[in-house]
Amino acid sequence: MRSHEHIEELIAIRAIGGLDAGELDELEREMREHGPDCSECRRLEDEYGEVAGRLAFALEPVAVPDAFAERTIQLALGEREAPARRARGGSLRALIGVAAAFALFAGGWLIGGAVTGDPNVPPDATVVALQGDPGGGTFTAAYQPGQSGLYLLGSNVPALPEDKVYELWLFTGDTPASAVCGTPSEDGSLFEFVDASLEGVGLMAITVESSSCPGAPTTDPIFLGEVTA
Amino acid sequence: MPGEERTERWPLVSLLEAPDARASWGPPVTIDLSDARDRDLVQRIRRRDGEAFRGLFGRYAPSAMAIARRVVRQPFLAEEIVQEAFLAVWRNPEGYDQARGSVRAWLMGMVHHRAVDLVRREESQRRRAEESQLTETTVVEDPAAQVVDEIGLPEEREAVRGALAELPPEQRQVIELMYFDGLSQSKIAEKLSLPLGTVKSRTLLGMRRLRGRLAGMER
Repeated sequence: MRSHEHIEELIAIRAIGGLDAGELDELEREMREHGPDCSECRRLEDEYGEVAGRLAFALEPVAVPDAFAERTIQLALGEREAPARRARGGSLRALIGVAAAFALFAGGWLIGGAVTGDPNVPPDATVVALQGDPGGGTFTAAYQPGQSGLYLLGSNVPALPEDKVYELWLFTGDTPASAVCGTPSEDGSLFEFVDASLEGVGLMAITVESSSCPGAPTTDPIFLGEVTA
Repeated sequence: MPGEERTERWPLVSLLEAPDARASWGPPVTIDLSDARDRDLVQRIRRRDGEAFRGLFGRYAPSAMAIARRVVRQPFLAEEIVQEAFLAVWRNPEGYDQARGSVRAWLMGMVHHRAVDLVRREESQRRRAEESQLTETTVVEDPAAQVVDEIGLPEEREAVRGALAELPPEQRQVIELMYFDGLSQSKIAEKLSLPLGTVKSRTLLGMRRLRGRLAGMER
């Protein structure tokens, strides 16, 4: 068991986001060795956590767009549900047309600042709320047409068994290509960046797959979204 | 290195260049009333009081947005992060434990954690150099609303900036790169051509000083 000074170093650096994955594991091991009743460990976590949280106030505050503020508050208060519809049954191929219809009629598209009203959103940024299982959280994809790369953001996403992952597929025509696999954090959030060209891609879908992250989908999609160039 | 590209495009502008950053600052500021107000808001959120949620959002969303944008560089991703953090507060207000710290630190910690998590996930695949959308930070423009929402926060900003200003430059540098630019200590060592151990020790020494200044403040 290492000293509290070593743990303090790891805790202090973790608090401000500086640890790499391996060091996070090291800290977890050290903390386990000290046990859940280690009051000194807890004190260090609390105090450095307090420091880290407060460092944010060194920055000047940023104006929050009214539309964003209202959207967030309404989401929280349940007065407005995130756009979502269940995609039922059928193969991936059969659902391609359905996804296109969802995108057209379900109001799932938010095209950059023109719709969001936020002048800070890149004018060509496209944010797509994927259509899917209302009980399965929400998935949003963000990308800039003509540029490679896509962000996938999940919220309130249900946890999966250890041997399962969420897998994102990018369709060129009827052909799916595995884009990324991921699992949500404890709080149900999921962030993934897909380093891939979107050229020719017309549809994205999310399935639940084995943790081996297979190269072809084996289950029906639970979320779908259309990609426009 | 990708990390260098990112930083070259967005050279570290010391926070101390911010207005009033070097304003005189004395002993730790007493802000207990401010945090008592925050704790009351969280208590009311636990009772599903929507107005309390509005109050907490109005008070802290601008600061949350500032740190999220600073770390992830993309306004629309920053919005996602801020929204997620506030929704997490609404869904699980019991996550706040008064015995472990202030409401503001708890909330900003969630925002920062999400922002860094996003940057790291991105880093693991490719660090993109697409920071062109970062705009100058803008002070909230509604002075009337600010009077209510900002109770205690100007003092907080002054205290935090003062504490940072007091750090030796080499300690402040690593902490700023880590916290505000989302770089890991190994990336910082690489960028500054320093042994990793030096980065660790500078960070720890700086954080100890900040803890002495900030963690002892009344909540």
